[in-house]
Amino acid sequence: MTAMNSAGADLKQLYYQMLRIRRVEQAIAERYQQQEMRCPTHLCIGEEAIAVGISAHLTTQDKVFSNHRGHGHYLAKGGDLRRLLAELYGFAEGCCGGRGGSMHLTDLAAGFIASTPIVGGTVPLAGGYAWAEQMKKSGAAQGCASVAGGTTPWMEEVERSRRPEPRTPEATNVVVIFFGDGCFEEGVMHETMNFAALKKLPLLFVCENNQYSVMTPLAERQPERDIYKIAAAHGLQAASGDGNSVEQVYALAQAAVANARTGQGPQFLELHTHRWPEHCGPNEDDELGYRSPGELADWKLRCPLLQTRQALLDKRLSDESELTAMEASLADEIEQAFQWALRGSRPSIDSMGLHLYA
Amino acid sequence: MRDVTVMSYGEAIREALDDGLTQYPEMILIGEGVPDPKTIFATTQGLREKYGAERVLDMPLAENGMTGICIGAALAGMRPVLVHQRIDFALLSVDQLVNNAAKWRYMFDGQQQVPLVIRVIVGRGWGQGPQHSQSLQAMFAQVPGLKVVMPTTAGDAYHFMLDAIADNNPVLYIEHRWLHHIQGEVDKNSPRTALTGAALLRQGGDITLAAFSHMSIEALKAATVLAKHGVDAEVVDMRCLTPLDVDSVARSISKTGLLLVADCAPETASMAHKLLSELFQSHGQHLRQPPRLIAYPNHPVPTSHFMANHYYPGAEEIAAAVLEMLDKQPLKQIVTMELQSDLAKDLPDRSFAGPF
Repeated sequence: MTAMNSAGADLKQLYYQMLRIRRVEQAIAERYQQQEMRCPTHLCIGEEAIAVGISAHLTTQDKVFSNHRGHGHYLAKGGDLRRLLAELYGFAEGCCGGRGGSMHLTDLAAGFIASTPIVGGTVPLAGGYAWAEQMKKSGAAQGCASVAGGTTPWMEEVERSRRPEPRTPEATNVVVIFFGDGCFEEGVMHETMNFAALKKLPLLFVCENNQYSVMTPLAERQPERDIYKIAAAHGLQAASGDGNSVEQVYALAQAAVANARTGQGPQFLELHTHRWPEHCGPNEDDELGYRSPGELADWKLRCPLLQTRQALLDKRLSDESELTAMEASLADEIEQAFQWALRGSRPSIDSMGLHLYA
Repeated sequence: MRDVTVMSYGEAIREALDDGLTQYPEMILIGEGVPDPKTIFATTQGLREKYGAERVLDMPLAENGMTGICIGAALAGMRPVLVHQRIDFALLSVDQLVNNAAKWRYMFDGQQQVPLVIRVIVGRGWGQGPQHSQSLQAMFAQVPGLKVVMPTTAGDAYHFMLDAIADNNPVLYIEHRWLHHIQGEVDKNSPRTALTGAALLRQGGDITLAAFSHMSIEALKAATVLAKHGVDAEVVDMRCLTPLDVDSVARSISKTGLLLVADCAPETASMAHKLLSELFQSHGQHLRQPPRLIAYPNHPVPTSHFMANHYYPGAEEIAAAVLEMLDKQPLKQIVTMELQSDLAKDLPDRSFAGPF
């Protein structure tokens, strides 16, 4: 995606990316009831603006690490939708061949390295990846080749179909780590920030603060203070903003990614948002009463898609008929992707023990 | 062509790290104390000067985070070697080792891998105490996806380190501190080991002594004295834990019919149980009598040398058990006497004067 100009020419593209994630998640939720996607699934409905606003500044050479709620991060980075769906069904064509499910996604060609569900687990990995990128650039690790494992022919075909975007030789690849407010309580979070600041790593920390760790509110877990200020105290350049405003996320990310890319060290963004569905699963759960009365309804009024749609219409950047066509095209893409995934093959039982050791 | 040099186990590790840094430009050597004036018991001496501070470096005291950072660097194509001066500190990184390093290649369907070496040292003596002397090899060896090696000789120390660096899997490289001073032959031209297989340290027909790490040295001491009294013990060094080379022990007991297993670990935390279980399932018919197990007591080691000196079984206990198994109890007194040393029991060798 090209940079958004002052007239917001790419707002439509940002909207499109958010809408795509929303419609994919909704389609998953709808079909989840069929009991064929048999893995714990954490949907990101309500939080789409963050993944989209950040990834708009990334190339395929930049890398992303994510967590249990990773579908949006994966799709925004260019992860293959079909292989995501096949993974949820447990088919061999899934992005992890059925070994991972919703909580373990990867698409190396797109620069989406991995998501995993141990909270904080991928945070230091992102730090290490950024460290390696820095060493490769400085020449400390000359001759260092990426250590990819074996791939199947159809995987290679998928990867050949994508081309890395050209980069200037002086630019550094940036690594992004997405995590939540709960993760900020983990020790490795602070261990990684410390090392990242020490080494001035090209690393962007993105804290999606949705105020809940599963169902436990922030106030029961952390004292009253701003998360991003703790990051600043670690020596990171840190800022916070409205995670439901894709324009604000885009603007904050533009500066943060540029800083990380040009050797100014690790960046930290705390973005406020809210998860609409239950922590894990396809339903809403407001009746459980762990959210304040009206809290979810208020956040729904601040829907990132709704706000952007209105802005597109107000600024005459789009019109109803174009947005209707956009919906139709997405519905078609998602249906095709499900059809592709459902034609997947069962992984052979004989293959269950493979790939433990290189 | 053989290219044999005699050096200590510790020197062999330094030599392997040096050769690794030369052969693999993507290798990084990191750990608390790696470039400090004491250089991990001199095993990293001169390496920062030779390869630079970017590749040979100290680290923040953040074992779990730094293990994850090394895993991330490995995913990006580096070959980190992460050192803990005591294995006890590696417990802080069990999350990253077990949840990430061990499973990464598997859970991402072979598309990614983790070429990582975790180098850990097991302490003993001079009051190392409950948290500087643990034997955790069996715990780590229980995790599918990790490779665990415990080299005993200088030659294996060299080759296992170099082969672990070259390996595209996470390898836990366990060194017993009391092996560091022991001299041995290192043949740099011997073939790669694949980090599998036991080593036959001594041939003999009367009884099989299968031992782990420093206990293999104690078994050799016992066998040397026993030989003077007509008992010919075979010593098999169980230097690779994943998988255990059960076949080598089976071949030996098919000849001797008697087995004693000696591990440097509390009995419940011993790899001996795994070895005995596998042997019994497929080769139990070779044994003429039940096997013996020599291991540490099932409690932590205390710091005070007045107690700790009685914690560790060694060559005397191995020899006494062998003589019992062979029904040669009358030899016990003389053999025990010959095995006794005037070296203080909490020291590995005469040059050692503490504190680590």
